[in-house]
Amino acid sequence: MILLLSLTVAVLFGSGSYLLMKRDLIRVAAGVMLISNSSVLFIIAAALRRGEAPIYPLPSDGLISDPLVQAMALTAIVISFGFTTLLLSLIYRLFTQHHSVDQEDLAAAERTADSELEPEQIWR
Amino acid sequence: MILALPLAIAWLSAVILAPLNGRLRWVGWLAIVQLSASFVALLWLGIDVLRHGANQVVAGGWEPGVGISLRADELGIVFAVVSIGALLVALIYEVLNGVHESFFPALVLFMATGLTGLFLTGDVFNFYVFFEISMASAFVLSGYGREQRQLRAALIFTVVNLLGSVIFLSGVTALYHVTGTLDMGQIARIMGERTASSSILIGVLFLVAFSIKLGLFPFHFWLPPIYRDSWPSVATIFAGALGNIGSYGLLRFGAELLEPELRFGAPVLIILGAGSVLYGSLQAITVRTSSEALAYSAVGNAGYILLGLAIGGPVGYFAAVLFALVNPVNKVILFLASDLRGWLAGAAFAIGAFSVAGIPPSAGFFGKLLLFQASIDAGNPWLVALIFTGSALSFLYMLRIYQRGFWADGKPDVFSSFWARALVLSVALLVVALGVWPEPMLSISRQAADVLLLGGH
Repeated sequence: MILLLSLTVAVLFGSGSYLLMKRDLIRVAAGVMLISNSSVLFIIAAALRRGEAPIYPLPSDGLISDPLVQAMALTAIVISFGFTTLLLSLIYRLFTQHHSVDQEDLAAAERTADSELEPEQIWR
Repeated sequence: MILALPLAIAWLSAVILAPLNGRLRWVGWLAIVQLSASFVALLWLGIDVLRHGANQVVAGGWEPGVGISLRADELGIVFAVVSIGALLVALIYEVLNGVHESFFPALVLFMATGLTGLFLTGDVFNFYVFFEISMASAFVLSGYGREQRQLRAALIFTVVNLLGSVIFLSGVTALYHVTGTLDMGQIARIMGERTASSSILIGVLFLVAFSIKLGLFPFHFWLPPIYRDSWPSVATIFAGALGNIGSYGLLRFGAELLEPELRFGAPVLIILGAGSVLYGSLQAITVRTSSEALAYSAVGNAGYILLGLAIGGPVGYFAAVLFALVNPVNKVILFLASDLRGWLAGAAFAIGAFSVAGIPPSAGFFGKLLLFQASIDAGNPWLVALIFTGSALSFLYMLRIYQRGFWADGKPDVFSSFWARALVLSVALLVVALGVWPEPMLSISRQAADVLLLGGH
């Protein structure tokens, strides 16, 4: 089970990092989502054990599963959900201004803006 | 309950301000009053902590180590005071010059909530949650001004820092897996007894995560565009308050929780720190705009903190803490003063520049002096030479910015209120006062550094 989880975490993180290098900003956002989900799985894998639900009264024999990692994973899911919406809205605002979600177009706009800097802002 | 007061004030105020239109003048002043109240509560708590030692509250009446705990010790409280002070100055500055977007005051208060909680928590997962609260407000603030270049910088900032947060969360998870607890004191105790190779990996995760926040040399690439393109008050918030997360995190997690791993990695940290100092200073000389030069100066100054940490021991930690506390104050002066014109702003900028270069009488002098002392104690002539070179270079680029910014002709006479200039100058005078009468600053920093030495013992 641990092997399966660690493989899943590795594949999710790897494909997320690959998408992060892409030119298309939507794919970048998808990459961020995959990476944050891989970290949620990583949290669960950190204290994975078979056992009863940790609800009082606790079973006198046998193991109980660790409730703390589940709380941490839930918190991480909520936080990553919030950040994903924030990132997508940022990309949407960039789209409304540049009419493109391609990094090349943004970099071209950056170069134009740099050459249009006011003279007193340029020293050389 | 005094411990929860600064956090509660900031949190409630942020919620009250959220639906209000921040462009209205009275809303801005309301935000200033609320943040000042939180700041005063922090000062009160700080005096209490310095007199009677660390203060701890566990939520819900649980035993320490079980419930979620708030913990104020000397190290956390000084960082909280500096960060909230920087936020307060930036907020007053922006309200005096006119707020441009309605969300600004509420977001500053939300960031204050995140920062206060982060410096006053004794639980590594709570640290992560508060850290994300302040990062979320930072992501929205980075787009403040709605110009195209600000949004482009905001995108890089957001993506890189989200990645940094995931790395930090993985570090927290790994720590939990190894130690079975999230309480900082218990972690320090357990990690102090362990000598396993897996804890080196955890140390590397935290080093990368906080280096991204602080903008250290190989992880700095997101920093110059965001400092250059964002609004001056937002750049001040980033350099004066948000950057403290990185330096505090390196000190807390490196020197207190993972002390054996820090000692093991010290040679690497010296190389990274030296690279940061040289790269930042040289880039600051060559770039084109003053805000970009200040951004690279921030990269260079981050390196000194890492050097102090790598030297270690009482002297090294003392130097690192003092430098990490004075540096954000310098940045607040420089970023705000470089946006203003007139002799008041010029004087403030000159004081800030002297403080960065480490020339007496300014608070920055003591930061550099202690670093010199620490590197002489470490018996490393190369470090002494490096710190000297870094200071000389910083004097050079500061002079260049000053020359172009305040002496050159043909500057457009930007309107700025007299009170904004007076505000910046008063912060600058505070730096001079701390340089002339350094006793309180030195003794408080020494107490904060002692927290690190006692950690885990």
